[in-house]
Amino acid sequence: MRKTRLLAALLLLLLLTFPLWGSAYFVGRIFTPALFFGIIALSLSLLAGYGGMVSLAQMTLAGLAGYGYGYLTITLGQPWWIGILAGLAVATLAALVFGLIAVRSTGIYFLMITVALGMVAYALANQNRSIFGGHTGILGIRAPELFGHSLVERTIFYYLCLAVGLATYGFVRYLAGTPFGLALQALRDDPRRLCTLGYNVALHRVAAFTLSGFLAGIGGLLLVWYNGAISPTTIDLTRLINILVIAVIGGLAYAEGAFLGALVFVLVTNFASSFTQRFNTMIGLTFLAIVLFSPEGLSGIALRLWSLLRRTLLTRVAPSRHTGL
Amino acid sequence: MSWPQFVTVTLNGLTLAALYFIVAIGFTLIFGVLRVVNLAHGSLYLFGGYLGWSVADRTGSWVLGAVAALFVTALAGLLLQLGLLRRIHGQELREALVTIGVSIVAADLMLARWGGFTYDFSPPEVITGGLRIPLLDIGYPRYRLFVLAFAIALGLILWFVLARTRLGITVRAAIDDRDMVAAVGIDVQRLFALMFAVGAGLAGLAGVIGGSVLSISSGEDARYLLASLIVVIVGGMGSLPGTAVAAVLVALVEQYSLALFPTYAAIVSFLLMVVVLALRPQGLFGRPA
Repeated sequence: MRKTRLLAALLLLLLLTFPLWGSAYFVGRIFTPALFFGIIALSLSLLAGYGGMVSLAQMTLAGLAGYGYGYLTITLGQPWWIGILAGLAVATLAALVFGLIAVRSTGIYFLMITVALGMVAYALANQNRSIFGGHTGILGIRAPELFGHSLVERTIFYYLCLAVGLATYGFVRYLAGTPFGLALQALRDDPRRLCTLGYNVALHRVAAFTLSGFLAGIGGLLLVWYNGAISPTTIDLTRLINILVIAVIGGLAYAEGAFLGALVFVLVTNFASSFTQRFNTMIGLTFLAIVLFSPEGLSGIALRLWSLLRRTLLTRVAPSRHTGL
Repeated sequence: MSWPQFVTVTLNGLTLAALYFIVAIGFTLIFGVLRVVNLAHGSLYLFGGYLGWSVADRTGSWVLGAVAALFVTALAGLLLQLGLLRRIHGQELREALVTIGVSIVAADLMLARWGGFTYDFSPPEVITGGLRIPLLDIGYPRYRLFVLAFAIALGLILWFVLARTRLGITVRAAIDDRDMVAAVGIDVQRLFALMFAVGAGLAGLAGVIGGSVLSISSGEDARYLLASLIVVIVGGMGSLPGTAVAAVLVALVEQYSLALFPTYAAIVSFLLMVVVLALRPQGLFGRPA
């Protein structure tokens, strides 16, 4: 346990000092996007890992937060803090509605309904001019400015994303131990038994989905500040799938996996494109390989290696006690 | 809406329904028998369309293109089932994820081969051109009526096969209870492979038939995947009449709302899905899981 904690502290130190020694490109173009994509993927890890619900609509919820922020600040000319509140409210409310529709189904049915919901939202954003701005979307969206600095300045934005990322990660980890989190995990393992114990299964599912919408909305705000615009392309089928790809590559059941997967995803899309045009094929094949051979994702592989390493080390230090294993 | 306009919109709705039926029936069959949500179904549609276009372009024969699309996508579906899905059979979520992975790779490879261009088909002259509809005195493209006739014929053939033949009885039994079918000594693996090939082949054929209504280009895969999803969610998973009824319902609702309030048409499809799911979560013709 102490070793894990030491490792975590080291990692945290590296992340906190990263802008001091990392290249500007890595800080601004790799780690920052990895953090906000990680937050959106984290909302899926929460649903899938704790609640057993694999949703493909998380990017839609994030995008709706971006649309909410853009509509309020650009189209209606409201100040940024109203935009933030509205963005989060839109994402959370949409998640509540999606949740109410989808929670009666489970497994692949749930997956299917969330894809359909996400794609209907895309079609709406594409067709509607008055609110969503049609095919062009909403352009010229600006991040809030504090003390004369825009929040999207490279270093500031990195720390903002890191802080929000750590906070959401901590929240999701904390949730696992709360009565609500425990009920969710029980619901994933055996909904019928939980129902017999007097829990309202559907209500817990809706609550989890709404919460995930709020988390996705936070990620969506960071995303829209980074891009400075939002259009239907942000929430098209490919982008919806990307979030699932990120979470699965990292390890669907692990909160860390969301960020790990996002980092790998951003790295591959940035660097594979320099030696091959077919980087989407590479991502697809990686995804397939993980689904087929290591459903636990990279986190699962890392954990297995870690325990293997520890066992070898321990065996070497104290062979007499561990030979029985 | 004026009377001729109403007739035109209704005809558009019905012919679109025909197309949705041809696409979604493959999705339904695969889902009904194998319990696989094939999220690569749209990719198979697009692949069939591109391939059919290339064959038709080389040989000058639209029919040959359609036949090639049918058989090659059937083969692709067969490979997908035998190569990837069979080994993880029964793990429904993982199977769905595998089809997602395949769709990512397929979309990228098709973009590499066919690019972002729009391809137009030229169907045989017998089924192209306009047709004057007597009494109503409006013109309507002959090809769209052909699609409608084709879908009805396909539906009748499938119905006949499912209701009257030994294969159909086995398929219906498999939809109801796969384990029992396996237990009475039927080779379900062969049945699964066959159904996947048929479903995929129909998606490919739909690519040529649907591509000839307008055109074929990248992005169509997502559109027809959505259509298939909504049609089977509304109609009920694995039901032939459900797919037919839902295709008509979804397409008519889509066309009427596009004609009446174009910028909110997507909301109406959404509401249709919501109402059906609220009242009958298993779909109109589906059985409770």
